[in-house]
Amino acid sequence: MNVTVTRLGLLGMLLMAVLVTGIGTGSSFLGPDRVMAALLGTGERMDMVIVWTLRLPRVALAALAGAALALSGALLQRATRNPLAAPSVLGITDGAAVGVLMFLTIFSDAANHLTVPVAWQPAFAGLGATSFALLVLLLGGKHRADPLRLLLYGVALAALAKAIVVLLLIVGPVYRASQALIWLAGSVQAAQSRDVVLLGSVLGLSLPVLILLARPLDQLRLDPDSAFATGLPVAAVRGAALALAVVLAAGAVSVAGGIGFVGLLAPHAARLLFGSRAAPQLIGAALLGAAMTTGADLLVRLAFQPLEVPVGAVTAALGAPFFLWLLNRRGDPHA
Amino acid sequence: MRHVLPLSLLVAALAVLSLHLGLRPTGPATVWRALWGEGQDPAELIVRGLRLPRMALALGVGAALGVAGLLTQAALRNPVAEPGLIGVNAGAGFAVVLALSVWQVGNLGLLILCAAFGALAATALLFGIAGGGRGSAGPLRLLLSGVTVAALLSAGTQVVIILDEKAMEDLLFWLSGGFADRPVAALGPALPVMIGAAGIAWFYAAVLDVLAADDETAQALGLPVVTARIAMLGLAALLAGTAVAVAGPVAFIGLGAPHLARAMRVMGHARLLPLAALWGAALALAADILARYLIWPGEAPLSAVTALAGVPLLLALLHRRAPA
Repeated sequence: MNVTVTRLGLLGMLLMAVLVTGIGTGSSFLGPDRVMAALLGTGERMDMVIVWTLRLPRVALAALAGAALALSGALLQRATRNPLAAPSVLGITDGAAVGVLMFLTIFSDAANHLTVPVAWQPAFAGLGATSFALLVLLLGGKHRADPLRLLLYGVALAALAKAIVVLLLIVGPVYRASQALIWLAGSVQAAQSRDVVLLGSVLGLSLPVLILLARPLDQLRLDPDSAFATGLPVAAVRGAALALAVVLAAGAVSVAGGIGFVGLLAPHAARLLFGSRAAPQLIGAALLGAAMTTGADLLVRLAFQPLEVPVGAVTAALGAPFFLWLLNRRGDPHA
Repeated sequence: MRHVLPLSLLVAALAVLSLHLGLRPTGPATVWRALWGEGQDPAELIVRGLRLPRMALALGVGAALGVAGLLTQAALRNPVAEPGLIGVNAGAGFAVVLALSVWQVGNLGLLILCAAFGALAATALLFGIAGGGRGSAGPLRLLLSGVTVAALLSAGTQVVIILDEKAMEDLLFWLSGGFADRPVAALGPALPVMIGAAGIAWFYAAVLDVLAADDETAQALGLPVVTARIAMLGLAALLAGTAVAVAGPVAFIGLGAPHLARAMRVMGHARLLPLAALWGAALALAADILARYLIWPGEAPLSAVTALAGVPLLLALLHRRAPA
């Protein structure tokens, strides 16, 4: 337990360091002291403007999106009992993107302005994500003993969703290069503070549910019969975990697009560090996901500035080899 | 051979139809005049300058993808394998993007070579990872690995594209996949390669028949299984890579065409191969026609059209097959 707490603390400090570096790095470099001063409201006027209006939204959005996707992945892996499950693999992120683009297409007027409050955007993302997740689970539900088949249904439906996204990008009034970048690869480049508030509230609202779920999720690790024998309403817990996973992924996608493979990598790394008890693994996954995405975004900015490479390309480059290893390792009873 | 004639008629009908249909449909008389005359009428120019090249590209690329799909499915003994899904197209795409933007290759023949090499490298990578060379990886696992390799390669492609701002627009257009507004001259160096590769595969169709059985049977029949499989996959990569170099990555045609060919219940790959080529051409033409009307008056990307039709097919195949 003490080891876990120490490690969580270290991870938190790592995340803080990445965040401060992320905020400090840009066309004019700010040292950690100046960043902290500006964050606490005691810095110079110029620093305050740079930090609060230019840098913080992007960094905060990356961190929140990473945390939400990582939590979503951890919940999915537990609920489906599938170590390869992740929001991007199961078609959820692409489904959410379809939902958002539907929203933007339906509720935009001729001048490209929204006719309804933007707060509805996550709701539509959720709608898209839920429909695609339900389809994948329904199709894959028949082959419960075969985890790979579930993933292939996800992959197939993700391809369908991508095609719809491309069509909507062309038909809709939202066709702009930067938008395409967000919806096809995942990017936090165009972050605004309202996006941060939006995703922050989604995360905040799901926190109580997560706390309530922590214990049942531990019981869910048993085989279904034993879990039922401990008095756990297995179907209900599973449903709640899946629903929460969909909500979290939809929230992240609705503002940052489908940043791939974070939801797969972070939960596995967290399991290696914190074991498989639900509470520490979930917290660790969230911290790791946030640090990973912020770090990837920092890398993108440092290596390619002033060009905007989508952060999703970097996470895919890191995550895809890991997924391949997971899929093909020797003697794996699951795959 | 009784299927070849009606299928050829279907392809011919679709080809003729694709000359007539578009944003402004053209009458048969105008099409006739456009093909045989020298008229400068706008409608005739559209038919001769835009629709005719599209049709030619769809015919060649569709047939190549159909054969590539058949070879891949037979060699991997995997009914859901397809060059677009297992990362072969993505490998060719990555190689072409690298060649265009990093090495500034301008020669069409050289580009086709690069694409074929990229496709081969992606196939080799997939085999190294999933151990397909021994036939040990289940079809589903191989497919998943391939999809991930494709994701990895497209991430690389994205980075290269964004780094090369000058060529970004051209590269994005090429990567969107399709037959419209592409240089028909590319067919010049591509067609011999395609015909050659398909011809070799057709000549060795008996090898495909044996490969489609299990490894022990194939070995007992005296076939060097690994060599044969690698050779067939190499031919498939050559076909798919050439198709990608000409028209950009187009998925799902290589999945659908072999299944349609097999649904005609002919025995042996010597007969299946021409059918798969014809079905590939027919699917490509049909998708190209559909692309003109799906989001009328805009033009839909071809890969979106093929995905809309191909994904349900993939789902049905996954649903039907026994677990890996």
